[in-house]
Formats: sequence, C-alpha cells, structure tokens
Amino acid sequence: MGQTISKPTNPFQNSNFSLKHSSPSRPFNEQNMAPRPSIFSTLRRPLITKTNDFIPLFNDCISAAASRTQEYLLFKDPEDKLHASPEVLTQVFLMTYISQSVSLNMTDRFNCTAMTPEQRILLGADWVWAMLEKPTKNPRIQIAVQVLHLPDREDAEENSIPQEACSESIQIAKNESSNKTTYERMVDFCTSIGKDCYALFLFLGKKNDKGNIYGVLSNNFEAAIGKCNKIDRPFIENFFRGSRYLHTPPGMMQAIVTKKEGDSLTLMVKFS
Amino acid sequence: MLVLISREAASSARARATSEVERTAPSQGLQHRWLPLRMRKGRERGGDQNFDYMFKLLIIGNSSVGKTSFLFRYADDAFTSAFVSTVGIDFKVKTVYKNDKRIKLQIWDTAGQERYRTITTAYYRGAMGFILMYDITNEESFGAVQDWSTQIKTYSWDNAQVVLAGNKCDMEEERVVSVDNGRLLAEQLGFEFFETSAKDNVNVKQTFERLVDLICDKMSDSLDTDPAVTTGAPTAKLTDSAPPLQQSGCNC
Repeated sequence: MGQTISKPTNPFQNSNFSLKHSSPSRPFNEQNMAPRPSIFSTLRRPLITKTNDFIPLFNDCISAAASRTQEYLLFKDPEDKLHASPEVLTQVFLMTYISQSVSLNMTDRFNCTAMTPEQRILLGADWVWAMLEKPTKNPRIQIAVQVLHLPDREDAEENSIPQEACSESIQIAKNESSNKTTYERMVDFCTSIGKDCYALFLFLGKKNDKGNIYGVLSNNFEAAIGKCNKIDRPFIENFFRGSRYLHTPPGMMQAIVTKKEGDSLTLMVKFS
Repeated sequence: MLVLISREAASSARARATSEVERTAPSQGLQHRWLPLRMRKGRERGGDQNFDYMFKLLIIGNSSVGKTSFLFRYADDAFTSAFVSTVGIDFKVKTVYKNDKRIKLQIWDTAGQERYRTITTAYYRGAMGFILMYDITNEESFGAVQDWSTQIKTYSWDNAQVVLAGNKCDMEEERVVSVDNGRLLAEQLGFEFFETSAKDNVNVKQTFERLVDLICDKMSDSLDTDPAVTTGAPTAKLTDSAPPLQQSGCNC
C-alpha cells in the first residue's frame, strides 16, 4: 500500500503535540504482551465495499496527473529561459486529473471542484475532492487541497506578478483574510466542517526531491493551533522528517474511507 | 466607501464589523446607529476604489435552490443548467448607479449545505442585506425559510434588510409552492417578496434593486434620527477627504 523510507525517528514522539498518525508505534512491552494478530488476519479485512470502487479510478487519475506534472517539474531548458510557473503546474495537475476523472466517469461518486480565485484566497484551497453520498450527492468526505511549490519557484512568480493584475475582488478577498496565512485558512475551513473534511498540503517537489510529488493529509491540523504551534510551511514539512511510511494515493483513500467516524487521521503520501 | 455600523447589533457584529471600521476609524466605529463613511475617491492599489457606497449582500437558502445561478445571472448575465454545489462561500462584485451615486455591491454566495453552516454564518456579520431564496418546486426549501430567517436574526444585525425570493418560477409545471403562500410567508416575516427565475432572467435585477432601495431607505431613516450625522460633528472625523454629509439620507 505504501512505500517505506529510511527515516527512523519521529520528531513528534517526544513533543506534546499529538497528531494521530496512521501507523502509531506502540511501546516495546505492549507490543510483546498484546496478543499478536495472525499474519493471515489481513486476509479477513473487510472487503472494499462497492461505494469505494472509485479508489482504483482515483489512482488512475492521480497517476496521470502526477506523470504529466512531473514532465514539467523535471523540465530543464538548455538555455534556462523557460520555467513552468507554480500556477501552470497546479493547472497541469488539476486539468489532467479532471480530464481523466471525466473520461473514467467517476465524478458522480467522487468529484473535484476547482476553487475560484476568490475562494482560493478565502478558503486557502486550490480544489476540493468530495466523496458523494449516493442518493443526495451531498459530500460525505471531503479533501481540501492546497498546492505548495518549491520556494524558489514561488519567489519567481511573486516577483513577476504586477500589482495591477490584482483584481478588485481578489483585493477584497485578501482584505477579508488578511489576518491569517493560507495554511491557517485551509485548516480553519476544514475544521469548520468537521472530522470528515481533510486538509491535504500537496508538494509539487520537495527541497531534497524536486521531481516528485508528496502530500501531508490530516483532519487534525487544528490540534497544532491548540498547542500554540504556528501552521506554516516548516511545520508541515516537518511531518516528512518523522515519517517512516509513505502512503500511496489509493492507500490514503482506503485509510480515509475505513476510518472510524470522528477519529483523527494524519498521513504522508507519495503521489508520483 | 460606506460602512454601516449598528449600535444595537454591536454584540453580534462586533468582531467583523470593527475589523471593517477600524481600517478607517479605529475608535469611533460603534458610536452611531447607522454610520456612513466616505472614503476618498480615486484608484488605489489593488482595486477600483472609485465608488460612493459599498453594500455587503448575502444570498442564503437551502442547497440547490439556485443561489449561484441567481448571482451569475445578475453579475455576468449568464446561466448554465449544470449544477455545481458551492463549496463554502464565494462572492462577486457589481457596481450599480442610483441617483448619480456609485454603489458597489459585494454579493456573497453561500453554500446551502448544513456542513458549511459554521463558515457561512461567519460572513453574515456586517451584511446589510440578504436575499433569502427557496425553490418553488421544492417544498422542503420553502419549509426551511423560517429557519434561515432565524439564522439572519441570530448572526446578523437588526437593521439588515431581507428579500424573500421564490426561484425557478420558469418551472410552472413542477410548482409545489404557490405564489400566495410565498407572499404570505414574506408578509409574516416582514420581508419583501419576488418570484424569480435565474434561467429566464425574471425579476433577478429587480430583486437586487429592491434590496438596495430598502438598504438606502433604512440608511436615510437612521440618518434622520441621528443628529450626530446631520450636524457632522463626530462623523466629520470619520470621513476622509470627502466632506461630511450635510443632508439627511444617503442620496442613493
């Protein structure tokens, strides 16, 4: 389901901050004393119900979107003139995902709503995935996604946007949200909905791996606010330092749909 | 720009209202019943500030009654039958003219689903007008009007004006809520009433125009009863380069 990486320590283990990870490590004694499940127990896992049959399709969509985006992430212009902007990279990912999901006819079960420019500022999300209830088509589970780019790419874009390009409604949205960062706004948005709304910070390239796509997903980021931790980029990046396990996209989705209602879930994902 | 402050509703509206007021008048914002502020005219960075008044309006009501379509019809004169459920909240800006005054409407489109209630009600604060919408082909949406009205009373201020809109009046064959029932409920709640169709562009502009009229009337009433505004004493300090209002009423 996922990919193991060799980072043995978890920086959150010794802190007071208690986001619940998907694969918590239990104390040595407890591990020895508790009755061990049979190795065949995994075979008795509840079968994926029909309502979750979108998961393989979701994986197909993500694979297509990630592959396409990677082409541009890894692109090197011999003359160093062409650089895909963060905005373009986000659009490449999202457009490819949407094209694929429409062609696979999965949007009546799992849809994707791209935010308007104003919503991106107000809510902090670039798009929202939603697993829909069958008869009503109301969302049962939502994942609000905010894309993070390599810092040098973001800096380049900021410098290239003339102030005049900032429309009136964008300015109003900024004024409405001026006291919070985009990270905080998205966490606030998800928290206001409840535990069935997840925040996913999607990294199109990381500092030590610029060509791959990673994510940190949680429905419990607000715990950081309670602990007076500031939700910013270093805080989110810190999750990768402590993680021993990276979920795949279908693994992430499976963890979400099988989670008990009201429980917290935090996991790291590799999308490419 | 105009910012209206209601003393009576200060308790419920304080957080957001003061944030708006403090940008122009840090300490005097809650001193008056309805307090018009005029910002200087001219272009400022990041948007067109060249207007006389700004009204914050909200469209509320059950999911799928047509709030977003209604706003699109009004702001962009566009309509699509494809249903896309609004996530959280969104808004559009439209400028209208009334008696030679430029009124900028900040129109907030809210998601009707219950799961977004926390975030949408946060935006009620500071709103001067509401379009409370139901769907004439959906009894449940009509039955929820009373609850939405209570939400306005709970989260908004007393002076906010409300127009009840029975949308989708183009779908006569599927009608389950009569015009009379809609009108009667509006009377009981003290709201103005229109039946509308975003699809056929029926009464869309009229609904907004009536709401703007109601807000202007309310402003005039408040200014009439507030001598501080007409004498210009403390209000003058709150204006920027424009002179204080000398006449009662907002002239809009």
